[in-house]
Amino acid sequence: MAAERMGFEEYCRDTFDPKKIFSKPECLKGYRVISATQYILGPSCANYLAELGAEVIKVELPRRGEPMRHTTPFNEPKLYPLSRWMPNMGTGLGFFGANHNEYFLSVDFHKPEGVEIMKMLAAKSDVQVENYRAGTFDRWGIGYRQLSQINPRLIYQWLGGFGGWGPGRKRASYDILGQAQGGCFSVTGWPVKRGGLPSKHTIWIMDYWGGLMAAFQIIACLYWRDNISGLGNFMEYSQVQGAQRHLSDCIALYGKYGLTAQRWGNWDVLLSVHGIIKCGKSSYPNSRNPQELEEGFILISAYTDEDFAKLCQVVNKPDLARKYARHPDRVKAEAQEEIYPALEGWAKDKTKEQVWEIMQKAGINSQPVWNNKEVSTNEHFLMRGDVHWIDDPNFGDVFSQGLPYKMSETPARHKWVFKPVGADNEYLLGKLCGFSKSKIAQLEADGII
Amino acid sequence: MAEKRKPTIPVLPWPAVPTPTPDEVYKGESDKAKEYPLYLESILRQSENFKKPEALSTIRVLDCSTNMIIGHWCSSLLSELGAEVIMVEPPGGDPLRKLTPFGRQEYMFEDNVTHEKVGARFLAECRSKQAITLNLESAEGREVLKKLAVQADVLIENAPPGDFDAKGIGYRQLSQINPRLVYCWVGQLGQWGPLKDKPGNLDPTAQAACGFVHGTGAPSSFGGTPTRSGWWMCDQVGGTTAAIGIMAALHYRERVSGRGQFVESTGAAGVIRILDYNWGWYGVDGSIRPRYGNWDLAINIYAVNPCKDGQIMVGGGHDRLWYRIWRTVGKDLPAVEQHIVEDPNLREVTARLPHYKQVQTYTSMCEWMKDNTRSEAETKLQAEEVASGGVSFIDEVCEFPHYKYRGHMEVVDDTLYGSVLIGASAFIGHRTPGRVKWIGRPTGYDNEDVYRRLLGFTKADMDGLKKKGVI
Repeated sequence: MAAERMGFEEYCRDTFDPKKIFSKPECLKGYRVISATQYILGPSCANYLAELGAEVIKVELPRRGEPMRHTTPFNEPKLYPLSRWMPNMGTGLGFFGANHNEYFLSVDFHKPEGVEIMKMLAAKSDVQVENYRAGTFDRWGIGYRQLSQINPRLIYQWLGGFGGWGPGRKRASYDILGQAQGGCFSVTGWPVKRGGLPSKHTIWIMDYWGGLMAAFQIIACLYWRDNISGLGNFMEYSQVQGAQRHLSDCIALYGKYGLTAQRWGNWDVLLSVHGIIKCGKSSYPNSRNPQELEEGFILISAYTDEDFAKLCQVVNKPDLARKYARHPDRVKAEAQEEIYPALEGWAKDKTKEQVWEIMQKAGINSQPVWNNKEVSTNEHFLMRGDVHWIDDPNFGDVFSQGLPYKMSETPARHKWVFKPVGADNEYLLGKLCGFSKSKIAQLEADGII
Repeated sequence: MAEKRKPTIPVLPWPAVPTPTPDEVYKGESDKAKEYPLYLESILRQSENFKKPEALSTIRVLDCSTNMIIGHWCSSLLSELGAEVIMVEPPGGDPLRKLTPFGRQEYMFEDNVTHEKVGARFLAECRSKQAITLNLESAEGREVLKKLAVQADVLIENAPPGDFDAKGIGYRQLSQINPRLVYCWVGQLGQWGPLKDKPGNLDPTAQAACGFVHGTGAPSSFGGTPTRSGWWMCDQVGGTTAAIGIMAALHYRERVSGRGQFVESTGAAGVIRILDYNWGWYGVDGSIRPRYGNWDLAINIYAVNPCKDGQIMVGGGHDRLWYRIWRTVGKDLPAVEQHIVEDPNLREVTARLPHYKQVQTYTSMCEWMKDNTRSEAETKLQAEEVASGGVSFIDEVCEFPHYKYRGHMEVVDDTLYGSVLIGASAFIGHRTPGRVKWIGRPTGYDNEDVYRRLLGFTKADMDGLKKKGVI
């Protein structure tokens, strides 16, 4: 076979070629997921299943849709229309990234007719993802207790901030609260003596990553249901608990030694040299964009003794090479406080590209800090489909994040970014509920869909 | 020298403050109000976990990754749901075992059999796994790996691109001898493409490359710089996406094809996938997302700001919460409330988003917060059902009553390592919850068990291999 004779890189390019994705089968074909979710945590969870080929039905409140549609940076960019009823409004980019490939149904489940629709959908679905306040769906008669009677094979995933039980069960949460009260802020950013504060991750990470965790758990439950037990399941994912799972090693150090992990800025507590330094010059001194006028930053990674010796040679610091020849000496806080400023002194008349080139020539690992324009135009990420253009049926050419993992046989894929509110009402209600055209028109007139 | 620096303050056993009891938690609630939470407790409480089955108990995983957390994180997720995970390390162990913050040996962990020291970062992701040693640089070692791979469902590795393939133990070769194998490569930027990984690339390489570092931290005008995450965050995100790919491949194998496949996951692509609207925004008008510190570009109020004893998060994007927040502020400072709610330019949710409006909002808010501690502000805001919470440090996190009550962290009373507090499995579930069975294993601790059980090696076989440096 030709594949065996190819060079490895060529083989990978061929195997994972983004252009071949649509000629391969989908992993979760035939599974139906109800996503009664809003914001990011719940929607992203269902979205990862949609990327793998599940039919995900996003249920939103009629007309305005979910709140994330009205969230966009500085209130500027939007994709039009919001819905067929509101052609002059658009969907904000906050909605982007958590709703690819989905079908959009609008249902007001505050109304009994809406609850009936939800039950009809659950009867023929495999998964329900939901992130309303814990117990709300139970009260409305469409929680796990009721739906598992209708469909014992249903896998019910609830996601939220603090979980449905325990002393904090009534508390509301958002991503940034999960980051703050979960402990993530406390270890990110510079220490006070270097002018830093506890810092937020730019991403709504406890939402998006929480969704990943829950999506993994759902596929594992599908595996268990379909290959072993035949049974449905109920899972609860708490966003703040995700933060504790993240920081497991800090928790271990607290438990055994009473240590409280602190911030260490752009350096690394475990390895040295393995930190991000400032280069004195901007890569785009003539740009009109303030983002590009800033000085560059670059990660220098020379933590082995051999690489550190090479690095000291490159930056002409033989004294540091002698003093910190061994990693145990080099990784100490005081050593790091001496080494990194010396590196920054060396880089102060250089751009990040110049430093990168010097490091590459010397065989030292390094990585410039790129902004999202530099990532978006980078051949590597475009070739791999880590970012890509989607020819969207509603919104035209849209640039989007790509797929986070590659699969040789059943790759995940993006078909469209999202659709207007209620875009698939007729299709879904006709197909799954058997509603006639006039019935659907009546439901719409009554404000139920 | 090192011993001298260790503080002599006694460390209280965790929890320093007792965990609340159910009676305390639900005191004063009506039967109706506590019915649902108690129902959830009855089906979800972790104390019942070991009476329940495991979702992945039929899966065997070989985790051949070293140096990075990405592979170990991925196999941890599988092991929490019941997979049998065998860590295949080079003789002497994964170099990651030896890493400890600032090289402080006195803060490492030690087992009571080999007395080998291991750092917290590694130990926390060694949960419920077995540890064997195998030298893949030797031809004999590679033959042993092949024999193991025949009996495995999943293999995870993070060697430099093409390394395993060149050694005859890559996907192309192993899928010949075990077509059902799901083979997963994990790394920073990829095993193919112009920027493919070089030997020694570790997180935060992916953080710097994917746009995350550039976007994190305060703007330059506020004295900030691009900032990395405090942990190896790309490893954890990329490890989670790897686990999804592996799980999906296993499911497809059982349900449809009967065959495994080749999966690749990188920290960079994982974080790019979840980097909000960065890419859409660039596509619309070429915008480069700026750093915005602890505020949010797309929601106002939704930020962390300083208060009297630290920092506190307050969130309330939509109208209902907006007015509740200012009502709370107005109880102490009526003029501030008036200044905001009477401003016609702040009435619409979307009108509050431009930068100068955010500055106005948070300046007013900090007027109030500077006289309130985290817990005072939290209490006042939560009385109005506003989402808020202080920025917590690890000691506060570990002693937070809600987390303790729900078992977000647990003491694993380990045969080898004694009592170790760790972040518990986040997979809370009714029928197949995640769990931690033991905290970890010293280097090569399970050689005897695994090689005997899976390959039928005798004591003489193992002694011979050990002498040759193969295991």
